[in-house]
Amino acid sequence: MRILIVEDDLEAAEAMARGLSEGGHDCHRANDGEEGLAFARKTEFDVMIVDRMMPKMDGVTLVETLRRDGDQTPVLFLSALGEINDRVTGLKAGGDDYLVKPYAFAELIARVEALSRRRETGSVQTLLKVGDLEMDLIGRTVHRQGKEIDLQPREFQLLEFMMRHAGQSVTRTMLLEKVWEYHFDPQTNVIDVHISRLRAKIDKGFDRAMLQTVRGAGYRLET
Amino acid sequence: MRLPRLFRTTPFRLTLLFLALFGAAASAFLAYIYVATAGEAQRRTDQDITREAASLAAAYNRGGLNGLNQSLIERAANERPFLYFLTSPQGQRISGSIAESPVEQFNGTPTWVSFSVSDVDSENKLVKHPARGFQRRLGSGATLFVGADIGEDQAYVGKIVGALWGAGALVVVLGLAGGVLVSRNVSRSMSAMTDVVAAVRNGDLSARAPVREARDEFDELAEGINDMLDRLERSMAAHRHAGDAIAHDLRSPVTRLRARLEAAYIDQEAGRGNAEQALAQALEDTDGVLKTFGAVLAIARLQAAGEVPNPELLNPGHMAANLAELYAPVCEDVGLDFRAELAQDLLVRGNHEFLAQALANILDNAVKYTPGGGAIMLRVRQRSSGDVEFSVTDTGPGVPEEDRDRVVGRFVRLENSRNQPGAGLGLSLVAAVAEAHKGRLELTEGPGMVDDIGPGLRVALILPRA
Repeated sequence: MRILIVEDDLEAAEAMARGLSEGGHDCHRANDGEEGLAFARKTEFDVMIVDRMMPKMDGVTLVETLRRDGDQTPVLFLSALGEINDRVTGLKAGGDDYLVKPYAFAELIARVEALSRRRETGSVQTLLKVGDLEMDLIGRTVHRQGKEIDLQPREFQLLEFMMRHAGQSVTRTMLLEKVWEYHFDPQTNVIDVHISRLRAKIDKGFDRAMLQTVRGAGYRLET
Repeated sequence: MRLPRLFRTTPFRLTLLFLALFGAAASAFLAYIYVATAGEAQRRTDQDITREAASLAAAYNRGGLNGLNQSLIERAANERPFLYFLTSPQGQRISGSIAESPVEQFNGTPTWVSFSVSDVDSENKLVKHPARGFQRRLGSGATLFVGADIGEDQAYVGKIVGALWGAGALVVVLGLAGGVLVSRNVSRSMSAMTDVVAAVRNGDLSARAPVREARDEFDELAEGINDMLDRLERSMAAHRHAGDAIAHDLRSPVTRLRARLEAAYIDQEAGRGNAEQALAQALEDTDGVLKTFGAVLAIARLQAAGEVPNPELLNPGHMAANLAELYAPVCEDVGLDFRAELAQDLLVRGNHEFLAQALANILDNAVKYTPGGGAIMLRVRQRSSGDVEFSVTDTGPGVPEEDRDRVVGRFVRLENSRNQPGAGLGLSLVAAVAEAHKGRLELTEGPGMVDDIGPGLRVALILPRA
């Protein structure tokens, strides 16, 4: 995956590039907004990681400019601010996801990989298929090896998200944000409990466990 | 040259301006009085003289010069208040109460003249009185002069003019005195505020402008300034407190972190120890520190803003239902009976994320502190006052009444909860969210003691109904 990192904090950018490169990604770095804009216009990227506050051109202006030009490259905003308003501004400007500094590296990688998948699902899907797991989005039914699995509405949403990001690590924060639409960090392990219930429904009685826990990161639905 | 302070004040300048305007108006008024009194007196004298002359002319027409002369003598004897002088057509004096006519050059047309007559006053002193007269020619060419002593009238006018000058002076003096008084009063009010501003500029945020209970615009200004300062002081205190609290609460985890890293480093150098475990622990400690930072920042911003961003109309029942759905499984897992009673027909105005986070914090606490086998009840209802109340009741150990105010304060964690995770900011954030919604946080006792466990805690977030 080709990733553009637009970040004026050189040390942070270096760490990001190193980590993502180790994950097999092709990273390019720009040190300010103007440079980032020039890079983005010259080359096609799969994902852009854009810092909010930068010299010359801030991240929001950069993304707004790109979106006006018709560039739909998925953008993950990074920000040290973290207030509700900041996130809303970032998403309104055309950002696809928002991550507040400081972040866990696993969180960053999970979100970047989740974003890269967005573009592939351009057409409206009615059926999701991961391994022997099938989800009918119209009929709202789930089958594994032909056996129907009965899910609560939220469990259905949770599984849908996991299936759309099959093979990727998904963090608890991502699940809370994308499935429940909450942007806070509960003190109790609410997400783990929901996942373990879902796991009991889709994996219990089958030869292979699909819903895996990724240590230090979150969960992954194995393909 | 610098004017004395009083003369530089705006109220005093305004006083001078009004004094000038008032003076002009008073002058016009006084001028009118002068015309209406002194002018009227002269007109009346002239009228009397004209009438007397006409009456004498009639006597002449009836009895000729002799008849007129006769009439003059009679009238003079009757002590009529007129001066007469009659000459023959040849210009010789025939009779008169004065020695000669004050009209020096007479060409035959009726002529008015002002002159003076000598008199003897009560102390036998010779005095001159102002007088006024009228000279006309009679049919045969004889001339008749009729005059009147207007000394008394003039004295009267003089008195009026004197009174007018006096009144004018009084206007100026009273106006100035009033202006000075008003200016000083206003200046005192203003300087009290200037003093407050100066004190604040010098760093004394406790300075307050005096309110005189006069309910005037100065009081309004003073109250406005005081309100502003109250808020500023609160916010500064909150920031200072946040700084102290951060320093206090972050010192121990950071110190612990450092000690762990140092120990791991020493172990590593000595070729023993488990670097991986030390790093994992260090990461966890760091996350805790960062979480605390985030919570303090959120509270400080809410308190500083005094309101939440992007408020919208929300259905508290729906919000609580979503949270109930999120928390029910975790309660079940730890053996808690979780129930929800949610009124669905209410509305509040607020920020969805902050309210959801506040409710989640309350639920987190209930889950953390309620022992297995207990129960948690989430409720949304309308109070009889119309306010909307979210409440979470648990059957945990509760919080002793004397500690309830304290646990809402920042970083306060009761002794027996030290071993539980959390930065101790949960309820502080809830309180800050409540306040930013013009609501409040209420802690009361739960359902009571059951099997030596209890008495439980009831945490209510109360918001005004939208």
